[in-house]
Amino acid sequence: MDPFTENQLHINRRHFFGNAATGIGGAALASLLGGDAMAADKAPTKRSGGLPGFPNFTGKAKRVIYLFQSGAPSQMDLYDYKPKLKDLRATELPDSIRQGQRLTGMTSKQDSFPVAPTKFKFKQRGKSGAWVSELLPHIANVADDLCFVKTIYTQAINHDPAITFFQTGAQLAGRPSMGSWLSYGLGSDNADLPAFVAMVSGSGGQPLYDRLWGSGFLPTRYQGIKFRSVGDPVLFLSNPPGVADETRRRVLDDLAKLNRLKLEEYGDPEIATRLSQYELAYRMQTSVPELTDISGETKQTFELYGEEAKKPGTYAFNCLLARRLAERGVRFIQLFHRGWDQHTELPKGIGKQCADTDRASAGLIADLKQRGMLEDTLVVWGGEFGRTVYCQGKLTKEDYGRDHHPRCFSIWMAGGGIKPGMSYGTTDDYCYNIAENPVHVHDLHATMLHCLGIDHKKLVYKFQGRYFRLTDVHGNVVKELLA
Amino acid sequence: MPRLMSDKPGLRVAPFLSAGFLILTLGNLVGLSAAEPVAGKVDFNRDIRPILSDVCFHCHGPDENQREADLRLDNKTGAFAKRDGSTTIVPGKPGSSELIRRITSTDPDERMPPADADRKLNPQQIELFRRWIAQGAEWKQHWSFVAPKRQPLPTVKNKSWIANPVDAYILARLEREGLSPSPPADKTTLIRRVSLDLTGLPPTPAEIDAFLADDSPNAYDKVVDRLLKSPRYGERMAVRWLDLARYADTSGYQNDGERFMWRWRDWVIEAFNNNMPFDQFTVEQMAGDLLPNPTLEQRIATAFHRNHRGNAEGGVIPEEFAVEYVVDRVETTATVWLGLTLGCTRCHDHKYDPFSQKEFYQLFAYFNNLPENGRAIKDGNSPPYIQAPTRSQRKQLAKLRSQLAATETTFRKLGPDIDRAQVTWEKSLNTEKQIDWTVTENLVARFALDAEARADQKPSFSKKPGFSAPTNDAKASGGRKPADAFEFKDGTPTFAPGKLGRAADLDGKRYIDAGDVGKFDFFDKFSCGAWINPQGPQGGMILSRMMDADLKRAKGYRMRLRNGKLEVSLSVRWLDDAIRVETVEPVTADRWQHVMMTYDGSRLAKGVKVYVDGKPQKLKVNLDGLNQTFQTDDPFRIGAGGGPVARFHGLIDDVRLYNSSLSSAQVEQIANVESINSIVRTSPDKRTGPQQRKLRAYFLAEQAPQPIRDAHRSLVSLRIQTATFIEELPTVMVMQEMETPRETFLLKRGEYDKHGEQVQRGTPVSLHSLRDGAPNNRLGLARWLVDESNPLTARVTVNRYWEMLFGTGIVKTVEDFGSQGEAPTHPELLDWLAVEFVSPQTKSAKPWDVKAILKTMVMSAAYRQSSKVTPALLEKDPENRLLARGPRFRLTAETIRDQALFVSGLMVEKRGGPSVKPYQPAGLWKEIATSTGYPQDHGEKLYRRSMYTFWKRTVAPPSMVAFDAAAREACQARRARTNTPLQALTLLNETAFVEAARVLAERTMTEAGTTTDRVTRAYRLAMSRRPSPVELRILSAGYDAHLAHYQKNPDATLKVISIGESKRNEKLSPTELAAWTAITGLILNLDEVVTKE
Repeated sequence: MDPFTENQLHINRRHFFGNAATGIGGAALASLLGGDAMAADKAPTKRSGGLPGFPNFTGKAKRVIYLFQSGAPSQMDLYDYKPKLKDLRATELPDSIRQGQRLTGMTSKQDSFPVAPTKFKFKQRGKSGAWVSELLPHIANVADDLCFVKTIYTQAINHDPAITFFQTGAQLAGRPSMGSWLSYGLGSDNADLPAFVAMVSGSGGQPLYDRLWGSGFLPTRYQGIKFRSVGDPVLFLSNPPGVADETRRRVLDDLAKLNRLKLEEYGDPEIATRLSQYELAYRMQTSVPELTDISGETKQTFELYGEEAKKPGTYAFNCLLARRLAERGVRFIQLFHRGWDQHTELPKGIGKQCADTDRASAGLIADLKQRGMLEDTLVVWGGEFGRTVYCQGKLTKEDYGRDHHPRCFSIWMAGGGIKPGMSYGTTDDYCYNIAENPVHVHDLHATMLHCLGIDHKKLVYKFQGRYFRLTDVHGNVVKELLA
Repeated sequence: MPRLMSDKPGLRVAPFLSAGFLILTLGNLVGLSAAEPVAGKVDFNRDIRPILSDVCFHCHGPDENQREADLRLDNKTGAFAKRDGSTTIVPGKPGSSELIRRITSTDPDERMPPADADRKLNPQQIELFRRWIAQGAEWKQHWSFVAPKRQPLPTVKNKSWIANPVDAYILARLEREGLSPSPPADKTTLIRRVSLDLTGLPPTPAEIDAFLADDSPNAYDKVVDRLLKSPRYGERMAVRWLDLARYADTSGYQNDGERFMWRWRDWVIEAFNNNMPFDQFTVEQMAGDLLPNPTLEQRIATAFHRNHRGNAEGGVIPEEFAVEYVVDRVETTATVWLGLTLGCTRCHDHKYDPFSQKEFYQLFAYFNNLPENGRAIKDGNSPPYIQAPTRSQRKQLAKLRSQLAATETTFRKLGPDIDRAQVTWEKSLNTEKQIDWTVTENLVARFALDAEARADQKPSFSKKPGFSAPTNDAKASGGRKPADAFEFKDGTPTFAPGKLGRAADLDGKRYIDAGDVGKFDFFDKFSCGAWINPQGPQGGMILSRMMDADLKRAKGYRMRLRNGKLEVSLSVRWLDDAIRVETVEPVTADRWQHVMMTYDGSRLAKGVKVYVDGKPQKLKVNLDGLNQTFQTDDPFRIGAGGGPVARFHGLIDDVRLYNSSLSSAQVEQIANVESINSIVRTSPDKRTGPQQRKLRAYFLAEQAPQPIRDAHRSLVSLRIQTATFIEELPTVMVMQEMETPRETFLLKRGEYDKHGEQVQRGTPVSLHSLRDGAPNNRLGLARWLVDESNPLTARVTVNRYWEMLFGTGIVKTVEDFGSQGEAPTHPELLDWLAVEFVSPQTKSAKPWDVKAILKTMVMSAAYRQSSKVTPALLEKDPENRLLARGPRFRLTAETIRDQALFVSGLMVEKRGGPSVKPYQPAGLWKEIATSTGYPQDHGEKLYRRSMYTFWKRTVAPPSMVAFDAAAREACQARRARTNTPLQALTLLNETAFVEAARVLAERTMTEAGTTTDRVTRAYRLAMSRRPSPVELRILSAGYDAHLAHYQKNPDATLKVISIGESKRNEKLSPTELAAWTAITGLILNLDEVVTKE
């Protein structure tokens, strides 16, 4: 049999490319968007790509929306209520609490470490009675849908290694990000969109890096595609100025003809793949603008997310887009919001951050819930470490600052497989050490993978002779968090 | 419109296609097994060790701490040992071997691997074990740890196919597999293939014609020689090396500031072009600084080990990152030269290969002796670095220096004339007339403080050249005063008799707000000073331009009294981002004295000097870690800054600011306020040094006869010119040894603060040892790497070259030659190449001759085969590991862009120099790191070869990333070769490619007349070959359609042909050009164009 002529070349164009998920096009998509053709062969109907045998069991979540709060939000000003600190205001942090803990170069030479209680009020919310700061009224309203984890901890003490750790399970550059692992393991549920999308909002504060959505040593096709708020949402998506769609179509048709002639002559399957990639590119030129066009969203939607959601580049807009991506089956949707690094003037800074993010974060939860999508969408909110109870710089009546604190901080999770309306783990009275139920970054990763039906020890990739995984050689699923 | 959510069922993919797609994966799905089929004799290294390694070593391998049941299977002693009455492996007797019993046991407690193991044995593997033992269980050392030896060539049937020994090995394997080689590629394909491979650029039509016309038997030979001599060869070869060396133009963390390492990059290009032997190439990069009397080039070469990332983040714990840098050097060295994954042994003994954790730190010790700080410099190079002038700069500098020397000599000869002229002038001087004179060059502001007024002010500040955008964007916020502001604050204006006229009288509360003057930054040279007469408590701010916040947080620069000492701070954040020095000796209270600070823009404490009464002061450094801009919008203040607690008490007079780092001679002159007439009145033999020097300076500047003044002026300007030239020379970070070696400890779990036992430098025991008498330092280690008894370096190196040409290495895992790496497809060929590389038998080749070994590869018949794929070959060998056909694969990111620039004629072929910033979508840097804009270049810098594109690690150039360029965050030995829609979008829409299409259209329109000729011309430029009639038909019809379209759409026409900054050829018809641009754009997107075939 001459497979090329028989099976591909004589199929007319319409048939050849008309059906996204069929034929050679679909197979090649699989290879780009999150898997390889071998696996696609065995995958469930709607899925393209992914590894055979994945998911390992039926997980409750099909996708993840990670609301990363970059710069490290202060846990004791938002979620981890510490009433006793009021009386300890301006007293020195006891050595028995600090326990020789290493400090960053910014405060390690400080001559005193005065305790700075939060100046914000806390209240218990919902049926679950979760403590939430007055800074987050909207998140407080959905508290019963959330699972607060007060005892996350990490080893990293500086932003770059810490955020890299959260995204890749290692502090140094080079490992694949979590979204890449999922694209590789689970493939894509939408042939026309990338399996892993990253979006950035907020300005100032700590910078971000391409590696945070990079594929590390996994093939580059698993890397996250950053949707941009200025210019093309996806780089080079638009036709150049003056190139009409009909011109582009004609060029692509002629290109396909010529490439097919080449395929006929040379028989290299790479040529067939390239043919299909051009068609996918063409389809992305339609599917991505359709995705980012929010003109059809209702008034009710904007009531949920806030008017800011109409402005591309805002956190609220990205939250709304996250829901639209989730609807379209994108596997891993990673938001980054910058600006949480309040070393000084924390009350002012954190207030602004909360105002920018509170409503849309809560709106996303409510929106997913009303659409019945919260049960199979895992949402995570959190930063790369916490902040110190002691004041960085001068403690005044109105003002304080906080340095980096890796030993405990708070995040919340919701939806797909996570127990709603609970708080997990406790810290000591100084919010400095974990009193019970520590959850390491690796544990969080293991738990998230579990929600997606993945045994974190099985999602491996052999590189430089070693089987790597997101959780390195660590990680335990925190069963108490599971629904 | 396509539906977004596809609900179509997936089609089963035909097996042949699946196999084809596997080429795309780098990973753990293996197509054709690299090893030969396992019929017949079982080979330990080929068949058994990989299974043992993958499945068993994790618990029964080299790592003592993880070893279960005290059973070791990675060495012969362990595997054949008698244990508790049973023997693990009994040669010839599978039935008596405990190993077989345990891997086949049905008892779950006995069965190995245990039920919860990550990896299991399949029945075929168990059968292999059984057969291997039955056949005598021959144990061999892991193949790559045994040095390669020259062996007799294999015999083959089809002898006529053999062009050189390479082919004997390829053909022997093909014949064993029952395959035949493909016919030779046609000459056009071949010259394109070899040109792309050796120079990274396609051949020109003229070069193709010459080759086609050359019927001589060595026509191809001549082409290869020409290409190897081309300077483009060095650029092409350097790209691979840059990936390995994790070369980039930024430091890689956080805001990812710029660094300057391009002098090393240019060294690499030059080394390849000069065909520097690989052993020398190795030694100079590893340890050029330790060679006897190292040349500048040899020191530049050591930048290899400084290309790792560097963290300048605020809260960094320096020791933590200092360790990371050294670890990076060890891992990089292991990957590049040894093909070993030593990174594992940072935390524990290796799980698969015979290397211990202690050995990791013994290697670590070689690289741990650098005077470096774990906290890197944010913008610019981190010490140690050297000035590294280019050859032409060195020539210029030599010229300047000899000019300067000559001028100095001439001027010195004028000495007696000057003395005489000065005496004459002094005699003629009316000494009653007051002449005040001091340094006014680069004076930007002076406050006489005689009244509420000011003078002499011109706020102009220099920026250090070469930095992209290190300063923040916050500008024009409130609180800034006009430049002529001058106002007493917190009290009424008060003056008292001063050093010169009157002085500001400050009481520890009131101060002067002097407005927007002296807005210097951390790259600026500047000086400031004043006369002070401190009264009462010995504290308070003298001069400052800093935030008026509390002292600890205040950002800016200042000079103040603290406990009687003079303290100077240039500060972003006290405690971790500032320079702070103070004088060892206190100043005196209740007395006038002149105080002055100078700063040379170096961001180092040693760049700050402090003078009292014109004399340089001994300084104590309290902090030396300035890393970013300290500019503020707060005004310049006299007597205040840093809040109300820090005000000056006493008198201040004659405040001066200069935008240069004044010399000590200049400060001395400023501090000496005696008038010129007064000095002249002093009899010459009674004049002090400062008096003499000031008088002479004044005389030379103002009063000497014209010829003397001219001579003096040209001397001074030449001095400045030379100093400026030297200062602006490029620098490069290099390796350097500390005098007292730093101690090295094993780090438990690899953590910087968990010291274990102290270790000494040493090489791993399972490899060869250092030569007797070799120095036990980096130089010794470098020579050890290229010692002829090293079993790895030559193999690893030739394997990378092989991969570059053939698409896949003989060992596919080019980065891992350990037991978890893939076995070589042609082990004997790999050994032959390695031996030939080190001690060549080929005439004219020298040892470690890179060009010669590449030539051997490209001259082989294997390389010269047609790359057409037949269904039979595709089924048998989808990845082309056996090479029954020539290599065909996508070009690299750099080559794809370079080719587009080259064939259009846009490329500017200039070698070396600072990196350039071609087109990039707007805002790409800014959206993830607010403070860094991308200042795109213009003109010729848009069209340089891609290897010169500025590489920002945290936001790499998108059109390079789309085509799998290495991220340059860490050493990368192998690039992926994916095929994605983002690549299609890049080629179709990215400015550089659209512009190249337009310029290629202009070129074909100018160089050819008819449609057929133009298509043909474009084809020959882009693909070397001519179009077929069918192709011509398709493109001609396409052209007609596009032309009709653009004739109807003049606006679109203009837009399409106006993309890119190169000037359009206005003589050509716009509509035709637009239509041709569509055609040439299509051509640049053809699979064949982006593919080497």
